[in-house]
Amino acid sequence: MALRQDAGGPRRVTVQEADFDSATLVAAMRKRTAGKAGALVTFTGYVRDYNPDAPTRTLFLEHYPGMCEREIEQLCDTASERWQVQDCLVVHRVGELHNTDQIVFIAIASAHRGDAFRACEYIIDALKTRAPFWKRETLSSGERFWVQQHTADADKTSAWEAGGSPP
Amino acid sequence: MANTPSITVLYFAQVAELAGLRQEVQTLGEAISGTEWLEDLEVRYPQLAPTARLKIAINQQHAPHQALIQPGDEVAVFEPVTGG
Repeated sequence: MALRQDAGGPRRVTVQEADFDSATLVAAMRKRTAGKAGALVTFTGYVRDYNPDAPTRTLFLEHYPGMCEREIEQLCDTASERWQVQDCLVVHRVGELHNTDQIVFIAIASAHRGDAFRACEYIIDALKTRAPFWKRETLSSGERFWVQQHTADADKTSAWEAGGSPP
Repeated sequence: MANTPSITVLYFAQVAELAGLRQEVQTLGEAISGTEWLEDLEVRYPQLAPTARLKIAINQQHAPHQALIQPGDEVAVFEPVTGG
């Protein structure tokens, strides 16, 4: 758990194999920001079964330890420079995951909802094109393949980096 | 030969599977651009072709292909990332 205390408040970034309890994470964030945060926005990403012909059996997530955590911390820093962010937390799982499992959790506390929504959306969009994770899918047929990056995700990150927000 | 100038190369995900290894130490006497290094990578591992599509990170930072790789660097090579 990397914890940094500087301008914009603490950032907590964790990459782990274990599942997480979002309610506990939110309760801890509420405690840390009690009386200051008027808004707390969260995003949870799940494994989904999107191929009706050959259901996903498992998803394997590989990552680049060290760079991965630092990239996500940089995204939290960027979000804190662009928006008013009091507390920023990101948990991302790696290893073998199954259909409906939680993959990623992002929580942002801010004085105002607009900043919290935008910071949260920016972090998940940019994470998808900058944080070094790779997904390998295994179908129930036994077929295995590495997931390709979606052009739409790259476009969203480019829009944020250009100083705007995605369409 | 402990002082032979070298770089540490890390391969990830589909690149690691195709190359058949995850990490190696490569002799590198002087700085070269990422573009040149990727061209050399394709000679060493033809199964990775075309390597111009791959992304690189130098010392754990995303780097454009024109960036310079110096002796002592940690270079990672991978397909576009797919987390989240």
